[in-house]
Amino acid sequence: MYAKPTGNLRPGFFGAKGSMMRKFDESTIQSRRESRPSSPPPAIVGIGTKVARPDYSEEKIVLAMVGLPARGKSYLSNKLTRYLTWLEYDVKVFNVGQLRRSKAKSKASKTGKKEVHSASFFSHANDDAARQREILAEESLEMLITWLHEGGNVAIHDATNSTKARRAKIEKRVAKEPNFSLIFLESWCDDPAIIAANVALKVSAGDPDYIGMSREEAERDFLARIKQYESVYETITEPHLSYMRISNVGSQVTLGRIHGYLQSRIAFYLMNLHLKPRAIFMSRHGESMYNVEGKIGGDAPLSPRGMQYAQALPKLIKDNLGDAELTVWTSTLQRTIQTAELLPFTKLTWKSLDELDAGVCDGMTYEEIEEAYPEDFANRDDDKFNYRYRGGESYRDVVVRLEPVIMELERQDNIFVIGHQAIIRCLYAYFHNLPQETLPYINIPLHTVIKLTPKAYGCDEERYKVPIDAVDTHRPKPKSSTAPVQDVPLNTTGRQYLSPEDPVDTTVVPL
Amino acid sequence: MAAPLYTTSSGLLWHAGKILIVVAGLPARGKTHISRSLERYLRWNGVTTEVFSLGDYRRKTLGHAKDLPDDYFSHGQKSNETTELRNSVRSRCERDILDFFDHAGQVAIYDANNGTQESRRKLYDRFHSLGYHVIFLESVCTNQEIVLANIRSVKISSPDYISWNPDKAVEDYMKRIAEHEKHYEPVEEMDIPWIRLVNVGEKIQINKIQGYLQSRIVFFLMNIHNRHRFIYFARSGQSLIEHSYRADSDLSQSGWDYARRLKNFMMERRYLNMEERKQNNGGVAEDRNLVIWTSSRRRSHHTAWPFIKDASVEAEGARTPIRTPAELDEALPLPHEQGITVSGPASPRPPPGLTLPANQLAYPKIKVVEKSRLCEINPGVWDGLSPDDVRSRYPLEWEDFLRDPYGHRAPRAESYHDLCIRLEPILVELEDCKDDLLIISHASVIRCLLAYLVGLPAHEVPAVDIARGDLIEVQPSAYGVKTRMFHFWSGPGRKDAEAENSGLDSEMGETKPDSQADSTGEGLYSITTSPPKSNLHLDRTYRSRNSSQGDLEDSLRMTSPAIEGEHQSSMFAIGLQKPGSGGADVILTKEETKVANSLGSPKASAPTSMPTPSPSKVPLPKRQPEVNEEPESPTHASKVLPKIEPSLGADEAGQVAAKIEAADTRPTFYENVVEGAVKRKKAHGMSSVQVATPPSHTTPIDGDKS
Repeated sequence: MYAKPTGNLRPGFFGAKGSMMRKFDESTIQSRRESRPSSPPPAIVGIGTKVARPDYSEEKIVLAMVGLPARGKSYLSNKLTRYLTWLEYDVKVFNVGQLRRSKAKSKASKTGKKEVHSASFFSHANDDAARQREILAEESLEMLITWLHEGGNVAIHDATNSTKARRAKIEKRVAKEPNFSLIFLESWCDDPAIIAANVALKVSAGDPDYIGMSREEAERDFLARIKQYESVYETITEPHLSYMRISNVGSQVTLGRIHGYLQSRIAFYLMNLHLKPRAIFMSRHGESMYNVEGKIGGDAPLSPRGMQYAQALPKLIKDNLGDAELTVWTSTLQRTIQTAELLPFTKLTWKSLDELDAGVCDGMTYEEIEEAYPEDFANRDDDKFNYRYRGGESYRDVVVRLEPVIMELERQDNIFVIGHQAIIRCLYAYFHNLPQETLPYINIPLHTVIKLTPKAYGCDEERYKVPIDAVDTHRPKPKSSTAPVQDVPLNTTGRQYLSPEDPVDTTVVPL
Repeated sequence: MAAPLYTTSSGLLWHAGKILIVVAGLPARGKTHISRSLERYLRWNGVTTEVFSLGDYRRKTLGHAKDLPDDYFSHGQKSNETTELRNSVRSRCERDILDFFDHAGQVAIYDANNGTQESRRKLYDRFHSLGYHVIFLESVCTNQEIVLANIRSVKISSPDYISWNPDKAVEDYMKRIAEHEKHYEPVEEMDIPWIRLVNVGEKIQINKIQGYLQSRIVFFLMNIHNRHRFIYFARSGQSLIEHSYRADSDLSQSGWDYARRLKNFMMERRYLNMEERKQNNGGVAEDRNLVIWTSSRRRSHHTAWPFIKDASVEAEGARTPIRTPAELDEALPLPHEQGITVSGPASPRPPPGLTLPANQLAYPKIKVVEKSRLCEINPGVWDGLSPDDVRSRYPLEWEDFLRDPYGHRAPRAESYHDLCIRLEPILVELEDCKDDLLIISHASVIRCLLAYLVGLPAHEVPAVDIARGDLIEVQPSAYGVKTRMFHFWSGPGRKDAEAENSGLDSEMGETKPDSQADSTGEGLYSITTSPPKSNLHLDRTYRSRNSSQGDLEDSLRMTSPAIEGEHQSSMFAIGLQKPGSGGADVILTKEETKVANSLGSPKASAPTSMPTPSPSKVPLPKRQPEVNEEPESPTHASKVLPKIEPSLGADEAGQVAAKIEAADTRPTFYENVVEGAVKRKKAHGMSSVQVATPPSHTTPIDGDKS
């Protein structure tokens, strides 16, 4: 190891403690007055600033799904939405099926007559229904384009789009919009096992189309519906289209004319997805000496209670996981490495998992910061996600640096992430699709292991509290008008069958 | 402590095992371009990668095409002699690949035609049975124009066709392709993982590709393109506290001036490049945007301020105040520079009297993007410390750092390796970007990105020399990159050592008073790691291990302390003038930060010599300046000169540092597999001192002089 510096303050240390920084900022203003910047940007003082959201207004992508029912289209679009939303792109899924169901529902509530959307509705011999479905698809595409004009970035057209003619129509419509790019994403599958699993999921998950039907009946109807599509299905062979074709959940991938950074990011992400059952464990490090002292940042060792937590972890994981393989990820800071020390698994150290860098406030307590820079301190609570500590990071910066970690998490099997408060918040928000405003206030208590089990449409969550006391480092938003984020496990595995706008929704909706 | 991120105990990255990429495709399908790009990318990521080009082996073993038996490139029946020749070349190449894997190599790229299923299957079986992952990478061109362009631009200038008539060479080459086409079998082996690239990235097909590194490779291949564009790099302007990461201080007075000068100069360069391009294009102007990336540090983002401000003024329809080169110059002299004569333009300029079209100077299509990933390397607990402080407070860390400046991570700091990992997404974005790009960032970041573009090995990254006031212009082309360096500014802060680090060097000076190192960089990191400056200037073309002995000796002498000393002292003469004319600049030196009480009074301390760890630890150049690129500089001193003269004042006519075409910037492997691999192993292990063995000790088995 290395020799510890002696004394409290290193020479050359620049921080918000003491009066040096204030003096320096005053002299900066003076210096700027005497220099001649062509038109000076606003003067900068204090411990941090709010940072504007990155400008993605030029990204306009229409992602049209292609594939038979029960091929995992909604799964892919759901995953993509979560990933891109987390990266601050404005993403929305336009699901033709949802639109159809919602329309039928409102019609039913008006007229009292329920339309039957059984397999015959999807028959291509049924002209009337075919026309209806055509209109629905077009309507949904128009809604999608309008939404992109209003500031959206990535719009996902979730429908079967199973014929060349249909795809040509979409292409023609999108081509009218300058600067829109169109990608077809085909999910193709001929593995009966995968299809059967998807069908079972669909039938058992409470699809309103099958309410009141027995399971067998529903399955039979659904298979008949697939048959209707199969009879006219044309896989993508149009050479001029920009497309991505995923066969049998990624065993073969074809990419055609995929250009642009975001486009290839999407492709890369989809290539890394898998559906093998696995668990992601997350925990903060054990209580550290800085936690006890109420200081932020630093690279302090664990407190005695934190050490107890580290000792308790191996049994907890063993009881939960049995003999399964697991990889432990820690940050490069010693409190996470110490927490992981006794776990009998492969351990990897990620620089990207280091705690949010508090810059000049590193090593101070919240009280000290508030005392020294009361206004700035209040500013941070005003918009915590966008607030960047001087010489440090904002939550957004952390999200950006965690992106490769997410990519790797999607690829891996069982993982145990031992991280820090801000880091676990960001990862947790990704898996549960939580919005930016609440992200920095998610309560991730010390000495608690969170187990996430990714499912097709979200994550199941369990929490294991280790009965070892620790300080509470959670600071709720002061005078918050928004509801506090709940401290109980979230389950976000429900699938939406109706448009989110629909007020009368009986299915489980993600938070 | 200093273990690089995500390395397994075997030293391999990402648990990816060892991978053999078998490149397949007809001739002139860009196989070499793809192989080399991939090699560059993987190496930069810290993956030990090597391209094994069968063509190189053949040329090495058998000489040039005209000396070969007629049936060498034809298929079907061959004479025994030819068969034997072919086999000997092949087996030598494959033996070397195995050798490479045995010596810590992770990814080998086998660049050959590999045109039949049988030959590929044989390769697959052989390497697969040894536990290596084998991937086929096929390059297919359905567009004949790409093939022809490729032949004209690359093939007929290859060593095979030296002194041939171009048309005859094309004809001969087409004949070769036609022969191959008859017997070529596309990659369709469904049980083996493969990637098929159609028309250089227009379409990509992937079969059974699994694994992180493998999918990274695919992601990367999706983003490479051949479109013509420029990438520019410039450092941010001088800030008020240069050596403190935490302070995130604003630009100093001279930093603001620098920002303005950078904008004007950049616009000129771009104008000239566009004009040149227009002429080559038969008068058709190209419509390309300029995108500027800055880090989220204040000094970097504010250096781009003139671009933002002017763009917003122009968007409002106001008249651009500056129109002509003369006006440009008039706008430039600044209070700081009154002591320095600025007599000439900083680059080839438009002829005097020419009025630049408004839209060329105005450039409405400028977009400034702030990226937090581009922040400089985080010094961790060493922030604000002088090397001496570090040495006394963290003696063991300090030693580790000197031993491995690339891989060592100080407490809470980032190593250069960490930085490269952080920058990786930027790099892919950079490969994808089709606009002209100006990156205003920090020396450490530019080092990493430039090292990638030029293809330097990882351990040389910390030593790349990036001076403030140079605009680096990189033009990617099929076989590497063309790099030019323009000096446009010589104000205060050009060399960080002049003011900011003065506290630290006087203390360090005692260790080795006359060993001089270049100290361009943010603080500590570069000061302690930069080798003598003539080693790694990017304005030259470097050839790797196959340079002649004479060149090696040249370079040894070039780095001798005497010459460096001379050069340094003249630089510091300027440095001494500066603080007096510096006016109201408030620049905290480290000493001042320590005391924290002398704000507002610039400290005019005489900069003294910068230390290098010790001469023996300085990595000596593995790459040699190509002498014939600079016929007018026969002496060693003048070889060093192009870099010195900027510091002498901006008065030399040719402040363009050099205009060099990088013909082949990558090292080749085949001369000396074992030695190379051993070196590499050492480089990835503990001791980079070993890597620094003077090149005169390495004896290339075979000097390819052609």
